[in-house]
Amino acid sequence: MSQTVAAEPGASAGAPAVRRRSPFAVGLAAAAVALVIVGFVASVDAFPESWNLGLADPIDRTRRWLINNQTSHWLYTVLLNPLTDLADAGIRQLEAILRWFPWYVYPVFCGLGLWRVRGRVAGALGLCGVVLIGMTDLWQQGFATLALMGVAVFLSLLAGIPLGIAAWRNDRFAGVLRPTLDAMQTMPGFVYLIPFVLLFGIGRVPALIATVIFALPPVVRLTDVGLRNVPGPMVEASEMFGATDRQTLRLVRIPAARPAILAGTNQTTMLAMSMVVIAAFIGSGGLGQDVLRAMRDIDVGEASEAGIAIVIMAIILDRFTRGIATLGERGRGPRTNAHADGSLRAADTVAIRWIAAATALVALVGGIVGHNRFPEWLQWHYAPYINDITAWARDNLYDIGNSGIGTGPLSDFITVYMVTPLRELLSSGIPWPAMIGLGVLGGLLARGVTLGLGIGVALFLIGWLGMWELSMDTLAQTLVAVAVTLAIAVPLGIQASHSDRFQKLIDPVLDFLQTIPSFVLLVPVITLFHVGRIPGIIASVVYALPGAVHYTDLGLRRVPAEVHEAATSFGATRWQRLRRVELPLAAPELMVAVNQMIMLVLAMVVIAGLVGGGGLGLETVNALRRSDAVGRGFEAGIAIVLLAGILDRLTRGVADRLRPPAAA
Amino acid sequence: MEPIVTVSGLWKIFGKKVDAARELAAEGADREQIQAETDCLVAVRDVTFDVHAGETFVVMGLSGSGKSTLVRCVSRLIEPTFGHMEVCGTILADASDTALRELRRSKMAMVFQHFGLFPHRRVVDNVAYGLEVQGVARDERHERAREVLTTVGLDGWGDHYPQQLSGGMQQRVGLARALAVEPEVLFFDEPFSALDPLIRRDMQDELVTLQIELQRTIVFITHDFAEALRLADRIAIMRDGAFTQVGTPLEILTQPADDYVRAFTQDAPIAKVLPACSLMRPVGDVALEESWPRTTETATLESALPFLLSEHRPVVVCNADGDPLGLLHQDDVAAVLEQNLR
Repeated sequence: MSQTVAAEPGASAGAPAVRRRSPFAVGLAAAAVALVIVGFVASVDAFPESWNLGLADPIDRTRRWLINNQTSHWLYTVLLNPLTDLADAGIRQLEAILRWFPWYVYPVFCGLGLWRVRGRVAGALGLCGVVLIGMTDLWQQGFATLALMGVAVFLSLLAGIPLGIAAWRNDRFAGVLRPTLDAMQTMPGFVYLIPFVLLFGIGRVPALIATVIFALPPVVRLTDVGLRNVPGPMVEASEMFGATDRQTLRLVRIPAARPAILAGTNQTTMLAMSMVVIAAFIGSGGLGQDVLRAMRDIDVGEASEAGIAIVIMAIILDRFTRGIATLGERGRGPRTNAHADGSLRAADTVAIRWIAAATALVALVGGIVGHNRFPEWLQWHYAPYINDITAWARDNLYDIGNSGIGTGPLSDFITVYMVTPLRELLSSGIPWPAMIGLGVLGGLLARGVTLGLGIGVALFLIGWLGMWELSMDTLAQTLVAVAVTLAIAVPLGIQASHSDRFQKLIDPVLDFLQTIPSFVLLVPVITLFHVGRIPGIIASVVYALPGAVHYTDLGLRRVPAEVHEAATSFGATRWQRLRRVELPLAAPELMVAVNQMIMLVLAMVVIAGLVGGGGLGLETVNALRRSDAVGRGFEAGIAIVLLAGILDRLTRGVADRLRPPAAA
Repeated sequence: MEPIVTVSGLWKIFGKKVDAARELAAEGADREQIQAETDCLVAVRDVTFDVHAGETFVVMGLSGSGKSTLVRCVSRLIEPTFGHMEVCGTILADASDTALRELRRSKMAMVFQHFGLFPHRRVVDNVAYGLEVQGVARDERHERAREVLTTVGLDGWGDHYPQQLSGGMQQRVGLARALAVEPEVLFFDEPFSALDPLIRRDMQDELVTLQIELQRTIVFITHDFAEALRLADRIAIMRDGAFTQVGTPLEILTQPADDYVRAFTQDAPIAKVLPACSLMRPVGDVALEESWPRTTETATLESALPFLLSEHRPVVVCNADGDPLGLLHQDDVAAVLEQNLR
């Protein structure tokens, strides 16, 4: 589509078409084409090893210097160590408080809370979930995770809400902040750990800082957006009554932006959760550590117990923070909807209050008496059963009855026919200068000179860092995972958009999948697919699927009903309507879906370095495991960031191109 | 009578080269020409008017005529480019932020087109907002708010949220919110245009009744000519940022200044909107006879028409207490109706 536009610049008299015809763009395009031709003619395939920025050595030296001076240099004694101690003390304190309460307080309060915000069934499930965490003897680890998260979320909100307000107040600041947040959100969480390991070594504090920064963007962004979207007439009315700016902010703007700020808080909490789990790599402790250890031993049972505990925690936190966001709105909705959700009856509210009061009383006594350990007689492990299932699956599903159907052949198929050929094509089939040339051309077509140049520079940097081959490996895995996700998600999305019943059916499943922290998804996948590149790809697909289906559905549903009816009135078949009307109209939304998918897949493919995914992920994992590999891991981290940036901008550029021209 | 609101030579020009744009406008260039030459949009063009105490001054214009910009300039919600404005003796152009705030807290209030209610506050807290901003204690402002809610017929709705009310009720909340601060000047920015016609009619009647009792100074913006006729003591017709005619409803109807104004008057159902009192003559020394039909001052001409058409007697216009205010003569009404039909 973009090529048609390029061929007829007169058709869209917008700025992009004009910019593309500038002599600079033509020159750049010519240079790119020349690179492609030269690359193929000279048939150079590997990026020359002698061209190396040599970043790893100085990083490793810095790391050694930092380790040696951790006790003596002022940077540590005056600044970092006191900060570290303070943060650590905060986490410890919170953990101690959480542990003081008797164990039965937690299931009861989680149950009541969910009952209050989501209804009885959710409450009962919440109660059972918390008990299950205790039964599998993960009580203490749960507290460690919760305490780290609690402090991280608190700090994120403490920094994020004022930042959001500042961004709303000051357009210039917002102009700097927004692209920064964009960049932050394209970076896979894993990569955040590296610089903090470099500075602080391993432990809870670098994990905390990485989590705070990783979880920051949503709350900043949504505070800003929420404040900006406060309807003008409301603000005008407030001003007209002689309110000061401060009064308007406190009495009108912030309350009106509350739903957005709470939605941001929910997203920030979920990001913090997923990061705290990943941060087990650098010794954050808690449940993540258990998953990690079990996965290294390929003990799927243990990994499942800890993984399920994490999922339970994540779901409870998600529903809870989401519930708080909608709770305040419930009484205020339009008259007709006031009690339409029906999840909470008046009697329930009373019951919840009484049980909560009673439990609080018992808790106080229990805490003093010391019922704070989960009783041993309640313990029950299901790890052995999971291990039995895993063994059975390995023996029986790998190749069902020697029929050529099963996880083994599937994995072989993806490897032999998709991943390996694509990797070879990218790393040696297309010479590296040609690859750069193609990247530049892609950028030119998708957005213009800036993006074309940017991609060229970024690709060259990847090579210069000595990460060409590994990056192409990761890219190949990412592309395969995206292709598989698309192949599954688009039909599901189309079906969901056509059938409300189908949508209702898959919505809870997708919602559930979306709440699972990325890292934990690897557990069931290695049950079926062992280790190697395939489990990473499969986990990526599962991870990216919900968003992709959702965006497809959303995009198709946004096609106006009149357009739909117009197409039908001309006698279009369902398939014609889909292909000629709905899909083209939904194309920008679908491209946004692709963009999201790529970002999620890339994040997952990197984490999959842990289960033998190879590529850039492996280097990063190594950096976090061994202190002598930090330099190399740092380079890999930069390469991941560059790769993510390229793919993000490219897909977003295409999405913008696909949007129909705005009204004049 | 001392004017409460005085506006003279008011301009609002959006863009950078405002002086050039004003010069062009003074030479008689129209909006498109000015926009083409200076890239400026002249939204309000040299507007001058006074509003007296207790008067209802209606600015009527189609969308894009600059009427909403005008009312925002007069209340300084947006800064005018040139001009002099005075409200209750305070010159707005020089007013500091503090002085302006003080003026808004004590002297002015506005009712907005899309109500501008706060969805996160209960009705009573919406109404009490102006008082809260002034620092009035909670109990006191709630008491006052509930009083005003009773005045506008929303007794007992205070604890609901605005979205739970119908459109008409929401605008009553908007009206109550403005009345709660007991302002001297009330600005109405197309307050009823978002309501459906029947409700709109009710709200207009209610405003007329309220105004007889409260006697506030009102600046009312509308795009509905019939609404202007029904409510106004004086009407200003606005077109392309400038006033084309200012006058009483009767003047507008009987002596339209140009074809633009005449176009509006031709569609106006005069008998339905013009109040009986607008055409009456003073009683003077005429001896009233018991058998003469009577009508009230708020009633429309339509109510007197049957008598005027069938009998050759004047109609006596009385106030609410039944005291005669004036006489309605067949010839006068016929002249106006004839003008309207031409």
